[in-house]
Amino acid sequence: MVKIPTIHIGKLSLLLSIFVWLALLFVDLVRIFGIINELDSGISEEITWILEILFFFTLYGFYSYSIGKNIQGDFLNLIWRGASTGLFATAFGLLTQLFYTSLAETKIGSEPFLKNFFYHVNFALTTLFLISTTILWKHLILYQKNKQVVKQWQAFEFAMLVATFFVFFNKNNFDYSFLFGLVILLIISIVLSGNLKWIPYLTFKEKWKSLLFLSLILLSTGYLFNRLLAYGNEDRFQINLTDNLFLMALFGFIFVYALFSFLVTLFNLPTSSVFEQKLTEAINFQRLSQSIQPEENEEQVLDILMDSCMSASYSDAAWLEMNPEEHLGGIDQLRFLDEWTKKEISDWIRSQKTAQEWAAVEKPDQLLPLAIRLEHPRYESALLVPLIINKSAIGRMVLCKEVRDGFNKEMINIISTFARQACIAVENHRLLNQAIQNERYQEELKIAQRVQKALLPTRLDHPDSFDICAYSNAADEVGGDYYDTYKLDENRYVLIIGDVSGKGTSAAFHMSQMKGVFHSLIQLELSPAEFMIRANSALSKCLERNHFITASIFLINTENQTINHSRAGHVPTLLYRAKEKNSEFLMFDGLGLGILRNKLYENHVQERTFGFNSGDILVLITDGVVEAKNQKGNQFGFERIKSLVEINCEKTPRQIQQVLIDSLHAFVGGDGMIDDDYSLMVVKFGKKE
Amino acid sequence: MLRLEKSKETQFDILTLLGEVDASNSVILDKAIQELVESGAKHILVDGQGLEYISSAGLGVFMSYLEDFNDQGIWMGIFGLPPRVYEVFKILGLDQLIPIFEDKSAAIGSLNEA
Repeated sequence: MVKIPTIHIGKLSLLLSIFVWLALLFVDLVRIFGIINELDSGISEEITWILEILFFFTLYGFYSYSIGKNIQGDFLNLIWRGASTGLFATAFGLLTQLFYTSLAETKIGSEPFLKNFFYHVNFALTTLFLISTTILWKHLILYQKNKQVVKQWQAFEFAMLVATFFVFFNKNNFDYSFLFGLVILLIISIVLSGNLKWIPYLTFKEKWKSLLFLSLILLSTGYLFNRLLAYGNEDRFQINLTDNLFLMALFGFIFVYALFSFLVTLFNLPTSSVFEQKLTEAINFQRLSQSIQPEENEEQVLDILMDSCMSASYSDAAWLEMNPEEHLGGIDQLRFLDEWTKKEISDWIRSQKTAQEWAAVEKPDQLLPLAIRLEHPRYESALLVPLIINKSAIGRMVLCKEVRDGFNKEMINIISTFARQACIAVENHRLLNQAIQNERYQEELKIAQRVQKALLPTRLDHPDSFDICAYSNAADEVGGDYYDTYKLDENRYVLIIGDVSGKGTSAAFHMSQMKGVFHSLIQLELSPAEFMIRANSALSKCLERNHFITASIFLINTENQTINHSRAGHVPTLLYRAKEKNSEFLMFDGLGLGILRNKLYENHVQERTFGFNSGDILVLITDGVVEAKNQKGNQFGFERIKSLVEINCEKTPRQIQQVLIDSLHAFVGGDGMIDDDYSLMVVKFGKKE
Repeated sequence: MLRLEKSKETQFDILTLLGEVDASNSVILDKAIQELVESGAKHILVDGQGLEYISSAGLGVFMSYLEDFNDQGIWMGIFGLPPRVYEVFKILGLDQLIPIFEDKSAAIGSLNEA
């Protein structure tokens, strides 16, 4: 298959227009040849007109394609393009004029073919300039377009289309219909010329440049128009290409729009700095609100803040004063002044009563910037801007100007907005970092929880002669309760339960110390009282001043059926006697560990020994069980535990434990949390082996 | 909720506790005792009639001053504890270290004897 090359519209239309122009030239020259030699060439005027219209169309196609594609929003470049084309056409026109003035008397000077050739070239260049500039104007007019403007433009284009064919009715005579068409097109041009929205977006420098380019376009248009009129007045040309409504209207349109643009740009010059300022402020504001990414630091935000505020208020110098606890040493705190001047001014400000009152205000979140006069050889006024994060001032920014009363209401408004926005950015930044850190702490706590769970025994040592189970629950992720069992030999077992004062992380650390101490002491096979004395002395060295531990220890001898027990401030243990079918809490003196951190502790610890029988039950608890409160503020209490055990005395330890836990939860209430660590251990003695 | 009231009588400073002492507000209690010590109080009487509950953290505050008070010769006593709160002191064994009285007159009587 034959591959069709992709059609390049721009190049194609350019080629076509050149071809059409050559044809036009050829046709006209042939006609002139016929006229001179008094031969009827048989070429009617209509062919010329048709070719001319075709030339307009192809050129229009070429320019709308090439300009539409290349230029987006660069107004100066657009205008320069028009101006350069105009200059080129003008230069060529001038050269032809020069050529003919210098050769006016020679034969070449009156050579009709050459003259016609130049006429055609001038015509082509002028058309080129007119059409290209029209397309450029189109882009400018339709900048920030709305529906109405688009409709106006379409009407203009349609009217222009009609104007191209006007030649067939009018035969290029300057009559009333011609004038009428021209006036209508000019009116549309004037209406369209009101669309000058691109001008405010030029910077001050760009406005000067565009004034230059626009004046070039105006001059070129004027010159080329005059030139065309001059050509039209010369009778020697049988064919008049240029007294054409389309071209005349284009002249009018381009001139009017260029003139409007020129004047509006000129009158916009003085206010352009204000517009630029507002634009910069908007951009700065956006920068401040965007700078909350975690990778940006607070210094950068404050940096942007200072730049923005300085440019918004035309300040000559500025600095930041952060509160010492803010630790923002890395920031470039001085702008356009030295440390010495800063000290001079800030000392002066500190001595002012208004500034003192301003700084000492109770609720800084309501604080507005304060403008004050300075008595300083260079700076005459200053603005104090508070930086407030989370309702407290983190510092302030001081802006200085060399003029008196240099800060007006608008500036203060925009500056306080900037400051607020920057503070929000800083605050967000801090919150975000905090959230990240919190998440990390949560992770750490989970690890701590796992580690602490491992500190409690997974398997409890016991012989077949008694059954045992235990349960522990922490109020927070980690807790301070501890229980353990230890087998001294075949007949002797140790039970231990402990509770660190307080709860949470600090309790958990002490709990792990307690486990270490207890484990090393258990192996020494001490008597319960001696165990507590040694534990007290060991823990006294590592517990925090206001922390203590309570513990109970039971030394069970399964051979003698006796229990040796000591209590160190711990919640009394419940002993159920199967024979008597009732129970009692084993309460006797015993001081908590770490309360008396000296030898005197020995006087405050006691030991009890008692026997046990089959069916007897021991329930070891921590204070979390006793003190658990319901919604009315009542405690679970000892009596409830006692009666629950007595009622369920026939059950296995695990069942009794479950009954206790369930009752506890039922007591506290549906979603009521038990806000302390609680643990329990249930032992039930069986028959002696 | 814990409310603290301080009052001064000729012989001693009275610190009245109202409500509950738990982990969250035990610091306030600690600060109050600290202030009393700094103000030069030599006899501190804690009025516990309005104390509804004391957690181990609250007990830890009283406990932490025992040794200091011994060294500095400061006397501290508690009176009027409701039975449930008294039980907590007793279980821990603090009743052996801190003089606890039934009421204010008993406390004053004991103080005058000493």
